[in-house]
Amino acid sequence: MNRLTASRRLAAALLVGCTALTGAANAQTTPNLRAPHLKPDLTTAEGGIWDQSDKAESHVRASAELDSDPVLTAYVGGVVCRVAPEYCGDLRTYVLDRPVFNAAAAPNGYVEVNSGLLLRVRDEDELAFVLGHEVSHFARNHTFARFQAQKNTANAMMVLTAGITIAAAGAAYSTARAGGPYAGQNINTISSTARSLNDLVYLSSIASLFSFSREEETEADQLGFQRAQHAGYRPGASVDLWNGELDEARASDFPKVRTSEVRASIFDTHPVTSDRIAALTAMGAGVVPAAASPATTADAARRYRAVVRPHLGDWLKDDLRRRDYGQTLFLIDRLAGEGEDLGLLSFYRGETYRHRRAPGDDALALASYRAATVQPDAPAAAWRELGQACHKAGDQACAKDAFSRYIEHDPKAQDRWLVEADLKSMQQAGGS
Amino acid sequence: MKLFGQLCAFAAAAALLVGCETVASAPAGDYAVGTAYRVTLGRQWSDVSAIMVGRPVKVRLLTVDGPLLNRLYLTDGLAPGDFLVKPAAKERPTPTWRAGLSPTEQVEFIADSVAALDYERVETQNLRPATFKGAPALRFDITAKTQGGLDMAGSAEVAQVGDKLFVLLYLAPHEHFYAATLPEVETVFASVKPGA
Amino acid sequence: MRFLILALACIALTGCTITNQRLGAETDIGKPPPNSKVLLVRPDVSLALLTASGMQEAKADWSKAGREDLTTEVKVALETKAHVFEAFDPDAVQDPHAVQLLRLHDAVGQSIMAFNYGLIKLPTKTGSFDWTLGEGAEAIGHDRHADYALFVTTHGTYASAGRKALMMGAALLGASIPLGSQQVFASLVDLKTGRIVWFNVAVAGPGADMRTQAGAKSLVESLLKGAPL
Repeated sequence: MNRLTASRRLAAALLVGCTALTGAANAQTTPNLRAPHLKPDLTTAEGGIWDQSDKAESHVRASAELDSDPVLTAYVGGVVCRVAPEYCGDLRTYVLDRPVFNAAAAPNGYVEVNSGLLLRVRDEDELAFVLGHEVSHFARNHTFARFQAQKNTANAMMVLTAGITIAAAGAAYSTARAGGPYAGQNINTISSTARSLNDLVYLSSIASLFSFSREEETEADQLGFQRAQHAGYRPGASVDLWNGELDEARASDFPKVRTSEVRASIFDTHPVTSDRIAALTAMGAGVVPAAASPATTADAARRYRAVVRPHLGDWLKDDLRRRDYGQTLFLIDRLAGEGEDLGLLSFYRGETYRHRRAPGDDALALASYRAATVQPDAPAAAWRELGQACHKAGDQACAKDAFSRYIEHDPKAQDRWLVEADLKSMQQAGGS
Repeated sequence: MKLFGQLCAFAAAAALLVGCETVASAPAGDYAVGTAYRVTLGRQWSDVSAIMVGRPVKVRLLTVDGPLLNRLYLTDGLAPGDFLVKPAAKERPTPTWRAGLSPTEQVEFIADSVAALDYERVETQNLRPATFKGAPALRFDITAKTQGGLDMAGSAEVAQVGDKLFVLLYLAPHEHFYAATLPEVETVFASVKPGA
Repeated sequence: MRFLILALACIALTGCTITNQRLGAETDIGKPPPNSKVLLVRPDVSLALLTASGMQEAKADWSKAGREDLTTEVKVALETKAHVFEAFDPDAVQDPHAVQLLRLHDAVGQSIMAFNYGLIKLPTKTGSFDWTLGEGAEAIGHDRHADYALFVTTHGTYASAGRKALMMGAALLGASIPLGSQQVFASLVDLKTGRIVWFNVAVAGPGADMRTQAGAKSLVESLLKGAPL
């Protein structure tokens, strides 16, 4: 018993000591930024984290989800360089075809940006802010700070439980917190319920190092804002982006998503709260010129759209895989707001209703497909789907016409024989 | 080495095998899928249905070399609202079959289900007619990739009989494994007959 | 607990690496002729420090040392058996077919671990050790005219001094603390047939610390002892 009391006193003393140390560290006012071209010593803890990041990066290079379009990758890498000119040569950007809003910069310079993020930003200014935010975590070595914090917590926990249950505590704690093979158990608690576990596969061994503290997130907002502004981007973009994310969350089909918070990245435990948005608004207000004109913002949106246009269809198709139709419709409406790509967007609106199949969706799908086919950029499939929808609604004349037009638009379609068989049976039944 | 996502978490629960089913043998000869139909296996398969998490009751899974190297899914009749792959959470639903799907939508249901098994870049090709217990069916081929970038190949047959959907689905790595067992799979597909 | 017992039992012995290997049926034919060319695919080594609190800290310098020492010792071992050694960097492979084969080997290796060494047995995989990459495997070593490919993967932890002290203290209280261990997986592929002719899972003994030349030598000796080379 004496042993226990003694160790508890020791534990208390150590804890006080640890807190004092952390307090001292936070007292710094000017942020230390990592030096460019930094390469840590292999023997250090940083070296170990770097090595794990290297492994994650080589997995991504082999991954099926890697988007291989060099033009798109170069574009996103270019924006990264604009907000982080001093680290440009140290950062390697990868675009991953994943329908979730996410971007992260690992300590070794590997930057991943999801297609889901590229689909959701309205213009390059919003993209620049998010990338500036993530690069700021990188510049301030927040992952290493997380590592140190975890270590302190682990040690404090261990000392506190030094009485009897030491083995259980050590084993249970290590499986849950350390970046070992069971890191997945921690990942479930940090990722929001709507995110797929797959999104965390590559950085899973160090995922816990990306769940930044509230202070680190606020700092990244601030520094990210400054980086974007310094590079000439619109100051209001950060606020627009986060508000857009909040609006999208509210549009979800799932109550849990509607009420859960929005995060800057899937690893974050600290949400984008109203006070973070207020802080960014205040930062924007202090900048001259205060706001960009509507003409400039429309122009920026159009230029960004030109970059992502070749991928829009694929990304919307991927977004449908999440089966959160409320959110997909929200995104399509927002994308359609610029007045461009209406054929493609109406088609995907139709696809969303077709998949959702709520009461009344058949009619909504039909109307959307019809709206798509009058636009010059309608995909060939719009005619086939219009045909199917008309056929379902009993409008055989429309169905026959739409199916014929489908075959004209895509003579090599792999389902051509099916459509022709449908046409034939409709002609025979109709007697025309 | 990575842990499997889908096996009965045996690595973590090795000490807790109570309640974890075992793998049965599916010997050469008749193999019943529910009461609706039987197929004839030309060789012995391993029936891993019981140990695959995320697999609904109406879906059987056979393998020869393990689920990473070959998979043969055989479903009993799916009713409207049924899925091929069990969702992990309510907020991450998987494709469900509904009544009144067109043939291309049935193909899409299977392709989307393969994607829900965490395969990437799922594409379908070579759509062609077939028969299942005398009823019209669709055959098509599949290509996909694992997250690690291993190319996969597959072939599927789907048929709606009455108000039930039947799915036969074969998936294997494109390198060596797909072609190695394809002749056996073709005879299985062709051997469908009414249940005893 | 098992490792603790074994570790204590092995204190006096230096070559106390525990291995658990499998041999394909065709090795009954005998060993390959001298001067067979063996490609060693660059060992995948992940070593970490297991701290007193249970956290694992990845150690890049240990992984690098382990990789280099294992490579050197495998080279020595192969050349002693009069074979030709060549190092092979999987990340530098350009040929898409070879890339697919390397990924397939990963999948086959995981299947072997799950169904041959694991607790779940497949009725179709009882009997002889029968795993293959298929006849396209020669694409791995095609332009190098290699006969075999040897894959070596290691991961594990080494306990810190604090952890060891904790273990001693805990042992006195009657509780046990895992001390960390390093596992090595090795597979040998006959590139002409694609068959995995030999597979081994080893747990390094205390005298087989791969971060040192001597330790790596001991580990490789134990690892390759039953290999059909």
